[in-house]
Parts: sequence; structure tokens; C-alpha cells
Amino acid sequence: MELERLVVIWCPGLREEGARGEEARRFVHVVARAGELCPWVHPIRLGVCALPARGPSRFFGGEEMVVSRLVEVVEEEAQVGVADGLFAATLAARSGLIVPAGEAAEFLGPWSVATLARPDLAVTLQRLGVTTLGQFAALPSADVSDRFGADAAACHKVARAESGELAGLRDRSIERRLRVARGEDPDVGSEPPPYQPGFFGGASAADTRAALSFARVQERLGVDAVLVGRVQGGRDPSEQAVLVPWGSPESGAGPGGAPWPGRLPPPAPTDVLRAPRRAEVVDRTGRAVEVTGRGLLTAALDRLSVDGGPWQRVVAWAGPWPVTERWWSVRRRRARLQVVTEDGVARLLCTERAQWWVEALYD
Amino acid sequence: MFAFRAGDAASPRSRELPVGLADRIRPTTPVAGRLLPVPPALAPLFPDGALRRGSTTTVAGLPGHGATTLALALLAAASQTGSWCAAVGLPDPGVVAAAELGIDLRRVVFVPHPGQGWAEVAGDLLPGVDVVLVRPPGRARQTAARHLVARARERQAALVVLVEHVSAWPEGGDLALSVGALAWEGVGRGHGHLQGRRAEVRVSGRRSAGRAVECSLWLPAPSGVVAAAEVEDGPDGAGPDDGPKAA
Repeated sequence: MELERLVVIWCPGLREEGARGEEARRFVHVVARAGELCPWVHPIRLGVCALPARGPSRFFGGEEMVVSRLVEVVEEEAQVGVADGLFAATLAARSGLIVPAGEAAEFLGPWSVATLARPDLAVTLQRLGVTTLGQFAALPSADVSDRFGADAAACHKVARAESGELAGLRDRSIERRLRVARGEDPDVGSEPPPYQPGFFGGASAADTRAALSFARVQERLGVDAVLVGRVQGGRDPSEQAVLVPWGSPESGAGPGGAPWPGRLPPPAPTDVLRAPRRAEVVDRTGRAVEVTGRGLLTAALDRLSVDGGPWQRVVAWAGPWPVTERWWSVRRRRARLQVVTEDGVARLLCTERAQWWVEALYD
Repeated sequence: MFAFRAGDAASPRSRELPVGLADRIRPTTPVAGRLLPVPPALAPLFPDGALRRGSTTTVAGLPGHGATTLALALLAAASQTGSWCAAVGLPDPGVVAAAELGIDLRRVVFVPHPGQGWAEVAGDLLPGVDVVLVRPPGRARQTAARHLVARARERQAALVVLVEHVSAWPEGGDLALSVGALAWEGVGRGHGHLQGRRAEVRVSGRRSAGRAVECSLWLPAPSGVVAAAEVEDGPDGAGPDDGPKAA
């Protein structure tokens, strides 16, 4: 799984705290204004905040729309960028760029190794003739890790756009500083502090043990094999949740955020199929059931077959709930039904252009 | 007697205790450290009222009958109390459902596609996390199963194995939970929406100590969590109050 796409809002005028502390108050306002537009806005450090791009991008009809809306609402001089992973997204914001998905490594290539904010490493690398992130990324991982140690190895992964997180990228005290700026009790968080897995401090012995075991699995299967879940806004069960690699920048965020309108009421399905399965639904006469333009079924459901399998009698169903896509999207008219078959199994079905799909299972 | 509840879980003596005695003895030393909490509605399924470290619990049920809900729910309270948990081999985990069941997503990692190495992956995780939920892709090899059970015991982690039928796990389990769905509620022929599913969970296994417990549960209840439906006494009269509550 690739790095999460992030939108970063960069307010150059608010990056240093002045004597009167006004910058923090203004930044609180930026975070609040952005948060009114999109869920999941996280302050990273003074003057910099980030949010997941995927949900808002769907909601507003593209990343360009999200960026322009954000620039409009924040009421500060701000640059906004989008890229895969926090590090690249931050640099993208400094340049006001949207870096296409999957191209973070190419984007990072020309930047100086100094952007890693590791002066010692930068000097050493420059002595070796390595001045850009691209050159650094081209070094073999094992050599970097052996020769320069774990922190340089982390930097190397960032340069390769295999990770977006770097120690020092986030100001760990930013939430507290903003609470002070809001006039709140700095020690009483409205939510538990975001837990940051990984080797960047604050870990108990149990956390370290857990991290080691996850790293072993990553060695065995790859970095993307170990995932953590996060709940966000969205209409579909698959949109409401994302799985991101353990240790990636946004993996530390906890559940929360207001659900977006239109989601199905709980309980949610336990198995959300990444690859929906084809299904057929017929009425008593064996005719395929469809959903009309008005969102009505052409007939009562009678039998269901999944993947060409045996027919099963439908004993109950709910819906159809039309899935209304916004005007900017490709014209899609979909509808969703919950269907219970005679064996007691409940599935979430979706139909589009007379084709039925099983999207999820309630196991 | 110590050995049964509070001693070394690897001790073979616990299995040799006469059934009647096993049911009567009570811990004489604090067991809290050896137990991982489960949601209150699930406590009656467990002789200790909680998941026991070092033990293996199988959760069996046909697809769509609630076994995944039950297995995920076993991670909820543990993750909320700060235990790390892992779910191996659930290919399409419903993260929203997991959150609704009460799982603290910050404490759970998913390894959806371990491939043929599922047992090795679970083995890697057992030393690092408190509860490992693993779903073997089919019938597990005896050697792999035995190795995992031993590793869970040695590492004092709780192993939860999700299978379609209990026979797919050749090692049996300290505790075997079988799920049978009764019915979904809230949905009719074209109206309402799925609200809750009533299910029967039957408990057996060598650590059930002869108690044949059967529980009626909501898997899940309308809010998305698991909850007790009215509890029917098992054939031997063992009810939910028979065991100690979760520590």
C-alpha cells in the first residue's frame, strides 16, 4: 500500500512565534477554518497543518478543488500542497504544488539533502558527492543503514518516498501550544494524545516489543503488509475507513471526526471487499431485478447468486438507498441494498447499470 | 491447585484435573495479570471471565454467521486497556465495524494478506502483542497449529483462531466458541435496515472444564457492539454468573 495522500497547509507568516504569541492564535484559526471544510485537520507544527486528501477530494471533486477551497477559507497567507506522505506533502506545500500520486520520489529527487534537517548527515553526504535527495535515495538501503545508523535509514526511506515521517517533522508539543493559544487548560486534552507508533520516542517497553514484532513481519512480507485502520468521513463502508501502513505519518491518528452524511447506520459490515464480487438478483419469475431511475426496485427480490454460485432465497432486504454522486463526478447512478438470504447471511449489495455487486459481508 | 489458575500455564497438570474439581477451585492468587479483559457481554463465555494469557481460543462459524464479529470483539476491551492486538489473515477487514465493536484502532494492526506464511506471521507477532487473532486460509497444518499454540503459551499471549469449523484447527483449543446465527433484526421485505443479529454461542474445549455454556448474544447489537441477549442456561445449569467476572 502506498503512502497516504495528504494535503498540507503551509502558512509562512505563522511559522515563528512572536513575542505576543499572536501567531499561535492565528494558526488556531487556520486549523479551525480548515476543519470546518474538511475532517481530520491535524496541526503538524506552528504554521503547518495536514489532512488526508482522499475523502475531501472525492467530496469536492478533485484535489484542485480542495486546494482552492482551503486557500479561500483559511484567511491567512497560505500555500497548499498535496503529495504522498507528510514529508513530500510539506515540500509540495512550500512550492504550492499538487504532486501526482505515486510520483513523490521523482518530486523529491532534485531537493537538497538539507531538507531532511539533519545538518551532520547533509555535510557527510555532500562530502561523498551526494547533494540531492534523489542521489541519496539511489544509495543501497543496507549501506545507508550500516554506515549511518537508524536515523539516516529513516531519512533514506523518506528520500525514497517509502515513508513520509521523519523525527522532528512534527512538533510534539503543538497540540498543547494550541490549547494554550485557545485559552484552554493545556494539560486537559479534549482527546487522548495521538499515539505515535514507531521508534520516535514516547514508547513503553510493551510498545517497543510490539514495534519489534511488527518490524519482523514487515521484513517477512514488506512494509505495506502491516496496516492500521483509521475511520474517516465517507458514504461507503470502504470510504469510511482506510488502512495505512503501520508507522506511516497518519497511522497515529485516533478514531474520530464527524461522519459525513449519507452513511448507512450501524452496524457496519465486518468484511469490506476490496474486490467486489459479481452477483445476480432475480424476482419470482426469474427476471433480473433492477433499480429504476427513481430509485425503486422493479420487483421484489427473490433469489441471489454470487459469483455464479447456487441460488439462495432472499428472505429480507432493505433499501435501495441511492448513492448520489455530486454533479462533478462521472455520472454514476448507484444504489445499495442490504440483503439477507435464507442461510441467515447478510450482505451489502450495490447495483449500477443493471449489474449487481457484493460489496461487503456482515460476518 | 495453584497450577490451574495462577501457575504456569504450560503445566500439564491443569489438563489432568478432574472435571468436577476444575469447576470448583478458585484462584488463590491474583489472576488479573494473567487475564486480558473482554467486553462484559462475552465474559460469561470464559471460565475466567476474560481471555487468559497463554491460551488458545478458537472461534468457529460459517461465513456470514457472526464469527468474525465475535472474534474481533475479543480484541475490543484488551485494546482499550492498552494491549496491542493483531489480526492476521482477515483479507478485507471492516475497520468501521471494528471501531463500532469498541476496538481501539490505535492498538490493533492488521496483516490482511500473510499468504502461506500466516503461521509464521502470527508466530512473529505473539512475542510482541497481547492478543493475536489469526484466520488460517484453510485447514491448518498440525505442525503449524501446534507450534503456534506452544508459542502463545510460552509468550503468554492470547491466541484467537478464527475458522469455519472447529475441525479446521487440528490442535483443538483451550476454549472453543462456536457461533450459530439465528436471525437479523430490523430488516424486512424492503424496509428497515440491518440492526442487530441474534446468535447462539456454544462454549466447549478442554478449558471449559466441563461447562457446556450456551449464550444468546447480539452479534452485533444495533449500536454495533456485542451485547447479551437473554441468556439461556446450559444443560448443566451453568449460567453467566457461574464464573468470576472480568478482572
